[in-house]
Amino acid sequence: MQEIIRIDHVWKEYMMGDVLFQALKDITTTISEGEFTAIVGPSGSGKSTLMHIIGLLDKPSRGNVYIQGKDISKIPDDKLSMLRNEFVGFVFQQFNLINKLTILENILLPTIYTRKQLSYNPEEKARYLIQRFGLAGKEESYPNKISGGQQQRVAIARSLIMEPKLILADEPTGNLDSKSGTEILKLLKELNKEERITIVIVTHDKNVADMTRRTIQIQDGEILKK
Amino acid sequence: MKYFTFIIETALKDLYRNKMRTFLTSLGILIGVASVVLLLSFGLGLKAYIKGQFDSLGTNLVYVIPGQVFGSSGGFQGMRSAVQFDERDLVSLRKLRDAVFIIPVFSKSIKVEGNGKTDYSTLYSTTDEIFPARNLEVEYGRLFDKPEVDRRTRVIVIGPKVVEKMYDNPILALNKSIRIEGQTFKIIGILKAKGGGGFGGPDFDKFVYMPMKTGYALNTDKKIATFLIKAPDTKPFAQFKAEVKTQMLKRYKEDEVTIADSAEFITTISQIFGVLNMVLVAIGAVSLIVGGIGIMNIMYVSVTERIREIGIRRALGATEKDILYQFLTESVLLSLLGGLMGLSISFGVVAIIQKFFPAYVDFTSSLIAIGTSSFIGIFFGVFPARKAAALSPIDAIRYE
Repeated sequence: MQEIIRIDHVWKEYMMGDVLFQALKDITTTISEGEFTAIVGPSGSGKSTLMHIIGLLDKPSRGNVYIQGKDISKIPDDKLSMLRNEFVGFVFQQFNLINKLTILENILLPTIYTRKQLSYNPEEKARYLIQRFGLAGKEESYPNKISGGQQQRVAIARSLIMEPKLILADEPTGNLDSKSGTEILKLLKELNKEERITIVIVTHDKNVADMTRRTIQIQDGEILKK
Repeated sequence: MKYFTFIIETALKDLYRNKMRTFLTSLGILIGVASVVLLLSFGLGLKAYIKGQFDSLGTNLVYVIPGQVFGSSGGFQGMRSAVQFDERDLVSLRKLRDAVFIIPVFSKSIKVEGNGKTDYSTLYSTTDEIFPARNLEVEYGRLFDKPEVDRRTRVIVIGPKVVEKMYDNPILALNKSIRIEGQTFKIIGILKAKGGGGFGGPDFDKFVYMPMKTGYALNTDKKIATFLIKAPDTKPFAQFKAEVKTQMLKRYKEDEVTIADSAEFITTISQIFGVLNMVLVAIGAVSLIVGGIGIMNIMYVSVTERIREIGIRRALGATEKDILYQFLTESVLLSLLGGLMGLSISFGVVAIIQKFFPAYVDFTSSLIAIGTSSFIGIFFGVFPARKAAALSPIDAIRYE
């Protein structure tokens, strides 16, 4: 399987007041195309930091990050934004939809910022995703008018609109009841299986991790088991 | 194109969502733009008014005035003059055979008493030629003529506003005697109202006209204040003006006499009002700065309110520039909205004022209004927008 992300001796350090805090300590790991992986660890373990680095939202203090073999540690911010736009789809615990935009507008938002010539009609695709995720009729609704499970499905639709290679889900079920949570996980699993989209879920929930094929356990900024 | 439509649409929606805030914020710019545009339009109106006043006196006029009227660096000079014109100058000027008319004028503030009432007025002692020159016509009675001018007949032609105060009906004043500075004159004509006055201009309806030599009774030095000379159409105006000058320089030195035409007066007056107007516009512009600060303030609030939204947009691929443009567009639209409202209000106010005063909004002031408000939007919007753009995506998205 082709590697799509390689994290190579990555450190992330912050100054907290006058104390140096090491969020990630010499992390090395690879994620290959088509994987369904969970990054698991208790809160404060550094898993969110790792996810931010994998998701190109943050840069390591030391070490290198390779996206499809290309080192992105040194690329300028606007290139990083473009890569984020085309390469990664995010699903957050808090859904992170924009409340003043309709469901359709939320799903289409990444296509506004893209510099890439899309090979498909974004609105048709958005409407297809809405249909597929059981949100038909909600196109013009606003996020705060629909349930949490529905909001997370909108977020997944949004993460898919750019046809990314990777979906990063940060505690995607954390704000959902167990039934909705299960549905969302089922949906992610389906996307991984049917469309060969690489999915990385960050979670503290063992049950969620058990549904994935691979688990990266992280504690105190270090990987415990591969 | 689609991107810019999106950016503008997003900004407009955000402004619409906070209607009250949008209105109140753009109010500062509205007031600033309206005051600047109105002041400019008044300036233009004043210029038009002054030009109209001179034009109503007729064109091709040469004014002969004692002393140096115009300062060397523009503006009027204090009329400190050693020389005073008299009948000798009139005789001398009359050698300019082709002049259409040469009117000597002496004017003075006077006290007028008639029908037991007192009023104050301006005396104009001159020749009968003043009437056609100024398009003056009688409402009642008649104008004085050349023989009366030559014979020092004690007659006067009077403006309607002077007699209005003394008689219930102006016609009653006709052929009545009136006392000016203690001397008695007979009213032979009452002029038609001409309007004018106000805005510092003379009110022609309050003048008292008297034959020049009759006026010597009130002008014991037999002075002549100015000569009003109309150039003929048969030769270039500049040439005629030069001839007037040559004639006057026979008796006076170069700096003792001014030979001017209405264009010079208009230019000088315009210069003075131009400076005055710039000062007023500068004061008006202060409110634009205050308005701009208001915009900056509200844009900072807007950025803080939307930190999380900024984080989401950044995570989805918006670059720093995308965020910068989004907020900059919003502040420019906010300011432009104020500018357009201010401009509309100015048009409205000017439309009302035009009934009394020839103020108008020209293309340049409109352009200045739009240009300035856009500039203010950019200038005061760029700091908050840069703050928004500089937010780190992860810090922004985690912001509660």
